[in-house]
Amino acid sequence: MPHQIAVTIRAPIDEGRADELRKRLVEVGRAGMAGAPFRFDRLPGVHFARFFVLPEQQDLTGAVIPAGLVYLGEVDAPLGRHLANLLDVAGEGVDEVFGYCTGYPGTGASRTTRLRWLRAHSMPADAFYVNTIGRGQAQIRAEATLRAAIEEFLDGQHEDLSDRTPLQIRQEIRAYVNDTPELAWALHPPPRPALSWRAKEALHRFGVPALLLPALPALIVAAPVWAVLLRLHELRDEPDTERPAPEQLQELAELEDLAAQNPFTAVGLVKPGPLRGLTIRLVLSAIDYAVRHHYGHADLAGVKTIHFARWVSMDDRRRVLFASDYDGSLESYMDDFIDKVAWGLNAVFGNGVGYPRTRWLLFGGARDEQAFKYYLRRHQIPTAAWYSAYESLTARNIERNALIRAGLNGEMSPAEAERWLRML
Amino acid sequence: MQPELELEDVQGLVARGYRTLPAGCFTLFGVEDPAAGDTLEGLIPRIPNAGPFTGDVALHLALTASGLRRLGLPAPIMEGFAAEFTEGMTAPHRSRFLGDTGDTDPRSWLWGGPASPRCDGMVLLYARDATLLNAQQDLLCQALRAGGLTVLAELRTLPFTDTEPFGFRDGISQPVIEGLSKAAAAARTVPAGEFVLGYPNAYGLLTDRPLLPSSADPDRLLPRDHRRDGLADLGRGGSYLVLRQLEQDVAAFHRYVKDAAGPAGPDLLAARLIGRWPSGAPLVKTPDDDPRLRDDNEFGYHRADPYGLACPIGAHIRRANPRDSLDPDPGTAKSLEINDRHRLLRRGRPYDTDGATGLYFLCLSGNLARQYEFVQHTWVNDPAFNGLSDATDPLVGPRGPGGTTFTVQARPARERHLGLPAFVRVRGGAYFFLPGIRALRYLARLPRTRGASGGHRTRARR
Ligand code: HEM
Repeated sequence: MPHQIAVTIRAPIDEGRADELRKRLVEVGRAGMAGAPFRFDRLPGVHFARFFVLPEQQDLTGAVIPAGLVYLGEVDAPLGRHLANLLDVAGEGVDEVFGYCTGYPGTGASRTTRLRWLRAHSMPADAFYVNTIGRGQAQIRAEATLRAAIEEFLDGQHEDLSDRTPLQIRQEIRAYVNDTPELAWALHPPPRPALSWRAKEALHRFGVPALLLPALPALIVAAPVWAVLLRLHELRDEPDTERPAPEQLQELAELEDLAAQNPFTAVGLVKPGPLRGLTIRLVLSAIDYAVRHHYGHADLAGVKTIHFARWVSMDDRRRVLFASDYDGSLESYMDDFIDKVAWGLNAVFGNGVGYPRTRWLLFGGARDEQAFKYYLRRHQIPTAAWYSAYESLTARNIERNALIRAGLNGEMSPAEAERWLRML
Repeated sequence: MQPELELEDVQGLVARGYRTLPAGCFTLFGVEDPAAGDTLEGLIPRIPNAGPFTGDVALHLALTASGLRRLGLPAPIMEGFAAEFTEGMTAPHRSRFLGDTGDTDPRSWLWGGPASPRCDGMVLLYARDATLLNAQQDLLCQALRAGGLTVLAELRTLPFTDTEPFGFRDGISQPVIEGLSKAAAAARTVPAGEFVLGYPNAYGLLTDRPLLPSSADPDRLLPRDHRRDGLADLGRGGSYLVLRQLEQDVAAFHRYVKDAAGPAGPDLLAARLIGRWPSGAPLVKTPDDDPRLRDDNEFGYHRADPYGLACPIGAHIRRANPRDSLDPDPGTAKSLEINDRHRLLRRGRPYDTDGATGLYFLCLSGNLARQYEFVQHTWVNDPAFNGLSDATDPLVGPRGPGGTTFTVQARPARERHLGLPAFVRVRGGAYFFLPGIRALRYLARLPRTRGASGGHRTRARR
């Protein structure tokens, strides 16, 4: 299976057309991106995708950052295939919405020209969290089908089960899967991401600490200075105390809670000055390292409901975009943040203008429950059109399905078989 | 230091469910003209507070957002209330969120929906017996009608027993609020601010509520918030009140458990759907209905029954209050602490009118989004609750076209019940605010002082 990548394409919208485009996207989103003109249902390897308008915003100096159209995709590698599919399969929709953007070559232009344009407007994410690295979209869907089939098989057997051992039942399930041609694939473990990619990740994993090691003495000296300076900044920062406007809440809520997952999109200005600029860079690099090498297994520091999340610095690092796909409601997502990973949220968003006051970067902040919830809501951007390839599956469901499949292989002790059967 | 809960300023419904007053009626009303203020103010002396209570009759008064507006509360002050409350229970996205779609769409409701008359508030009346209630209720309706209000509906409850219409004891497990008399004996309490505004909540903070400039309250009816420059606190002592009329198809429930039970028998399946036996004894503690455990509420799930073999993971009470069974560390104090941020104070009563039976589900929340709506959406309605699939609450969760799934975890393998039909249907509902007693007096006098208080802008937060 391939590894997963974050695709981010952003382009400025023609003067005065942002509103019209936003309305059009909402319309498309309401009808579903699986249908025309996007036909994302035919795009292989897409987990989630979204289009939204990033509204015009003034930076801290008053300079205007013009409105832009943003496409985000959480997709299986390689990037080239996905971009090509965007034109070949979803081309009608892609041409239409990027047609609102300055300089889009348009339907008249050749495929190569348009492809080059999409590439030129792509930007890297500073950090990208994948719930389970290497679990492709096709695998997720297939394993959901597998689980459903096994559950049905078990339902049919129920009368006869009580006098069997877990090992016997497992054996029967294996025989059933083996005898069902559409399911027999499940008896082999899923392929892993490409060796070359894994080698690159391993190099990063060990290379980064190795490179940092010589700098350690200098860092130890610099850290207290940095901490004290940061603390002084924190005391001066001004938290935003406004509540989100009712109309804004309503616009956001109307686009939410349509599937088992929700998209979250937010953008915020980074606090002024080199210290904050440095801090957010460091924090995002740390997150990048952590999510690549520590949190790639269905658990982001205690939160198990996030499928994907990304942080993207933009506009010369004046702003940071945060986007995720998570299970359940925004209320439960925010409660998870506050109760489980407030420190992590503080480390990043604490560098954002208006965030509730933090102490030593990690403390306070999100623990100010309502101020934090207002901050998120006030920085949230309506995700006008959003696609999910598996609308009813939570991250926990997906993980369980994968474990059910994995448990079909190899030998098991009676206790292991009992544990495995509990997942059904 | 925690400020002491001012019992005299809190309506007694927060402290008790009036088991000693079995007759009850909830009167929904509309505010028609300014005289309504005087009429409502006339009711205030009859409202018992949260201190000790021994009367034969009790009356409580709650208002919806439209009611507050009709009494003349200016828009900027309204914004100080929770958005869920000011928007109301039937905003389209909220209906989706609460599962009020399809045949439980608010458009089909008996009251509270877009097709019904605007509901501005409710009087809750409780009495020692039916005779007393009827007499009081007649007087009440006369007074309302004569005093600038319309009576939209009189929701009469069944004489209160502690058994709900499916035959199970209800009202056993409740959060215990710090500062009330019961708290002394309780093993676990929640801070008063979880249910009463103006006091520290589970995060040690004051939940948002409307604060007014001092000038908007020249008679100093309202308490002042000294942390916030002496602003007048309209929220203090108040709580949000959720009322939902949940019609129960008692015959369908018993028919279903009889047909679906198999060898284990209908009683066990029914108990598994709930998580307690008819007597109230919790399944997690006893495999048969042991009446000695009828009031037992001292249990968790993680250590006693991590896999749901005694009490299914999807049982109503295990969903509505998972106790210590949730991530990130089930079985720990931290898990309980997180769970306690989502408690409901239930004050519902069953009804049986015009051949329809059900529950007037009523609960109080200091924070609608984090308590009532969270429990309804994230625990009761979520088909993927705690790792399950396609399974909403077997008792009250919404049903898709094919019903819902209920899994009985078992050794060596689980048993699934597919296609559970709906046993409960929402027939009406609204969000109310149950003001503190001083706030109530301020609100009732608004129609008279209106203009004097109008036009102030406040965006103050805490
Ligand atoms: C007609 C509908 C309903 C019926 C018949 C019903 C019945 C019951 C019963 C028999 C109990 C066990 C008694 C107890 O633990 O106190 C219970 C507990 C509970 N119910 Fe319901 N219920 C209904 C609707 C709801 C709804 C809609 C919610 C929430 C949105 C809810 C939330 C709770 C909670 C929080 C508990 C306490 C669980 C605990 O703390 O262990 N119920 N219900």
